[in-house]
Amino acid sequence: MRWSVHLLAVLLAAALDAGLGGLFEIGSIRASILPSVVVFVALTAPKRIVLRAAMAGGLACDLFAPTVLADGSALVVPGPHILAFALGAAAVVPLRGLLYRQNPVSNAAAVVVFSAFAALGWISISIVRSAVLGSAVPWWPASGVGELLVQLMSALADGVLGLVVFWVLTRTKPIWGFESKTRLAPGMAREGL
Amino acid sequence: MLPARVQHLLTGRRLDWTLLACALIVSVAPVRLLRPWTNLVLVPFVPVTHLGTSLRDRIRPSIESFDPKSPETIALEAEVERMRTLYETSRLDALRLEEVIRGLQATSTRAGGGALLDVGATTASVVAGDPNGPHGVVRINAGSRHGVVAGSAVFVGGDVFAGLVSEDVGAFISTVLPSTRLPSIGCRLFPAEGSDPARPVAIAPGAVLKPTGRGTWTAEVASAGEIAVGMVARVTDERLPRSALGARVGRIVAVEPIEQVPLARRIEVEPITEARDAISAVVVIERRSDGGVGGPR
Repeated sequence: MRWSVHLLAVLLAAALDAGLGGLFEIGSIRASILPSVVVFVALTAPKRIVLRAAMAGGLACDLFAPTVLADGSALVVPGPHILAFALGAAAVVPLRGLLYRQNPVSNAAAVVVFSAFAALGWISISIVRSAVLGSAVPWWPASGVGELLVQLMSALADGVLGLVVFWVLTRTKPIWGFESKTRLAPGMAREGL
Repeated sequence: MLPARVQHLLTGRRLDWTLLACALIVSVAPVRLLRPWTNLVLVPFVPVTHLGTSLRDRIRPSIESFDPKSPETIALEAEVERMRTLYETSRLDALRLEEVIRGLQATSTRAGGGALLDVGATTASVVAGDPNGPHGVVRINAGSRHGVVAGSAVFVGGDVFAGLVSEDVGAFISTVLPSTRLPSIGCRLFPAEGSDPARPVAIAPGAVLKPTGRGTWTAEVASAGEIAVGMVARVTDERLPRSALGARVGRIVAVEPIEQVPLARRIEVEPITEARDAISAVVVIERRSDGGVGGPR
């Protein structure tokens, strides 16, 4: 896989999420493009680099989603989404053998699984951070359960948006430089008999 | 060259775990450790976000892209200002009409009915004051076409005698000589809270108010009755139109003894309301018994 393409795609997706976010928002539920990009890589790239690619996506997400502190200032915390995306990717990798990748719905389902696990990871890390530092959780004054529900609904929205994003990403597959390990076994069919 | 141990950590699966461990440490790092450098990391990527925002503005123009200088906006703002002016005008007009109604009610209540007066009244706006001084004549936008005649009593605030229409009566405009410019006004002094109906009105101290030139009157009151600041002077002058009888004209603001006349006191009276301060006034036109109209008898 070409890392330059991946990083460019991740940055572009994060930038679009940061800019276009309001367009894909219904109430507090917000669909994002970045999870689809990460899942696309997680389903297509070699397994050994999936975790790293997901962490790169998480880093981009952390960069473009700074935490708002109690004094109103913004602070970039590069970490929570890195861990969250790694958890999401770890949940998606086992699905590679189960999903029929030509079916767009299966890709969308993978995005939902990824986003749900990433949300769970992010909420967990946020709780740990607030417990360690004695600071407020990012979703204060809402409850953690309420935030989890919102994130799960957002995961569903990510899946819906993923239908479109996967359609676009599938068409850019050649420029990603994914390694193909499909073995062509010789046989009668190949011999034209 | 990196040490062998570090190189060992930066390969394969170990690199993933190393990165995850770093991410975990940074995730729970205190703000004071993160603030100096993490926000700087974002700086190179800020231009990338402009791509998203510009695309969003293309799809859905934001309020910020609203052009306040566009002709449509300027026209709408002008329309809003016109509507605002109309609204304020109507409110001020309503206020003026309410004052007029109150004034007419007060005048008709006092001058009509039991007063056995055949009077007419017209309302007018105070359109100008004397530019040479605060206590000069004022002009009202009612004249002979409205039935105004010289000598008619002018009231403001319903029952406050403000002056007399002077000889300068035009077709649509008249000049009012303020009460503070009249040579003298005969009046009686009543407590501000009203007189006791059980006591005869004749015991109310009488006074002849003379202008001081400072917009007030002064008078010497030879009465053993109580005279205090705040008492109200009511017109009792037979020389003034009948409709002015009993109208308020001023309020005592100072009382001082007169050394030469121990039983008398000198008072200073200020107007309750002046015509130049009023928005509108009521001119009462009395019909004399001989069929004509006129002012002072």
